[in-house]
Amino acid sequence: MIQAVLADDEVLARQKLRQLLREIPEIEVAGEGATAAETIDLVRATKPDLLFLDVRMPDMDGFDIVGELSNGSQSLPCIIFTTAYDRYALRAFEINAVDYLLKPFTLERFRAATERALQQIKAKQQNPHAHAAKSQNGSPYTTRIVFKSKGRILFLPVSEICWIGAEENYVRICTQSETHLLRETMAHLEEKLDPSTFLRVHRSSIVNLQYVKEVRPEVDGEYGVLLNNGQKISMSRSYRSRIKYWLDR
Amino acid sequence: MHPAVFIGAAVSLGCLFALQEWISSRFWNYQIHLGLLLQAWGVQYFIWGVICWVIWWKLNPQINNATLRTMLTFFLPLSIAVGVFEEMIWILIFPTLPHGRPPMPYWRRLAFVLDGEMIDNIVLFWCAFFLFRGLGYYQRFREKERAESQLQSQLVQAQMRALRMQLNPHFLFNTMNGISSLMRSDVQAADLMLEQLSRLLRITLHRGEAQFITLSDEMEFIEMYLAMQDRRFAGRVRQQMSIDPHLHDAIVPTMILQPIVENAYAHGLSKLNSEGLLHIEATADGSRLCLSVTNNGLGLHLTPPNGKSKGVGLTNVQDRLRMHYGDNHSFSITEIKNNTVQVIVTLPLQLSERPIEKSTRYGVS
Repeated sequence: MIQAVLADDEVLARQKLRQLLREIPEIEVAGEGATAAETIDLVRATKPDLLFLDVRMPDMDGFDIVGELSNGSQSLPCIIFTTAYDRYALRAFEINAVDYLLKPFTLERFRAATERALQQIKAKQQNPHAHAAKSQNGSPYTTRIVFKSKGRILFLPVSEICWIGAEENYVRICTQSETHLLRETMAHLEEKLDPSTFLRVHRSSIVNLQYVKEVRPEVDGEYGVLLNNGQKISMSRSYRSRIKYWLDR
Repeated sequence: MHPAVFIGAAVSLGCLFALQEWISSRFWNYQIHLGLLLQAWGVQYFIWGVICWVIWWKLNPQINNATLRTMLTFFLPLSIAVGVFEEMIWILIFPTLPHGRPPMPYWRRLAFVLDGEMIDNIVLFWCAFFLFRGLGYYQRFREKERAESQLQSQLVQAQMRALRMQLNPHFLFNTMNGISSLMRSDVQAADLMLEQLSRLLRITLHRGEAQFITLSDEMEFIEMYLAMQDRRFAGRVRQQMSIDPHLHDAIVPTMILQPIVENAYAHGLSKLNSEGLLHIEATADGSRLCLSVTNNGLGLHLTPPNGKSKGVGLTNVQDRLRMHYGDNHSFSITEIKNNTVQVIVTLPLQLSERPIEKSTRYGVS
């Protein structure tokens, strides 16, 4: 059972969190805090795994609470921010919050956030000293991206990206459920992503190998990549050697 | 104005008079030295330059507001006094003049010179007077013109703002009504729609009063709007979008497509029970950007395009296009085949120099 603390100065907001958490059996509410001081005491007393945190509290803001808690001896809980303001998203991302829910959020959005938190908590319990994969220059590859899309803030784990397509000055990031247009370059993204998972198969596409169903030869000696969701991505000759290596694995 | 302007202009004028007198003296065969002439005329007009500058500096407002009465009671006496005063100084500087006459005492010389030049002096004074007055009129005229054009552009801005803002509430209340009806039947769906509406509002707030945005931003909004409509129409409408990737950065008026799409739903797609099709396309044709929205439904025979039935949305779109682009745009609404209506907007193609988004970051955790 995973313990969670809810921190929000508004009763209705806490009530909504409680109601949504009823849908998620693995999580149990350890307590609620209406002020920063209450929340800090509560977290110190109950040592929860997960903290739902509003950014704007009457006595301190959510980041002060996190700062206060990291001064303690115990390890920090996983944090999911819940707020009506989108301007703190980058800060939240930098302190490794699991997600950033903009009010009002739906059950689906909430589910996705708690799902990620659960994964992270389980991973931490199993292997407390895990390290991310390292790139050649010693810095770890990115494991998640933060961006604004369609009026939301997304802390998107790269494992949820199926493929990425180039569109002139933009890239289109495609997940199972939606696509997002980002002002980015393919080259920049490619160097950020772990090459053992993300493969450039064309000048204008990168695929996540976890979502590749098969690679099939086409009639004209070219190859096409077929994804789990039935989408086909063409591959150019110049990138075939890379996929060959992968096919022979 | 700087005193150098007055003095420079006056002294040049003086030198021209000196030159003229020197040429005429050669012509009439009497000898007079050019240097002396230049000195005499130059000094005379230098004094006038200083006087004009002082008048400009001290009396400009009075000159511009002078009534006939002030002119007669104040400026006329002033012109005589200034005329006399100028000659008094000039005579002090040149004791040997008038030329070719036996030496005379100061007052005699003054009387002699005034006799010849008083009228010239008064005329000079009044020339300066009316020149300043004319300049004043001109400045005021320019000022007024500038204020007027500023007012005009502010008015246009205000009209554009009003037109742009007209769209938000219009769209907002329609959506709220949708949520309100869903609340009774499907709480989950109402919740989702409320979240979608909040996202749309958040985007709208971020844009503030921007009149122009990139097509990719406009399409982001449209996609969210379409997702909401899709929920409302429960998959009865197939939505297709084809945007040329080169045009993501094209600049378009904010909320230019949303009213057209809303119109497609309100007057066409909402009348169908199935098989609805909505197609949004953006293409470039040389230096023109072409946006088209095609939908099936009822066609145009029930909704005359120029009749009163044209909603607030389309009228708004046309007004804004006219304001932003004048004649450099086109807007057409036609029935391309039976029951299929197409709206086409063409605008000049401009691409924005958008920087890489700062809110995208990469992290490891």
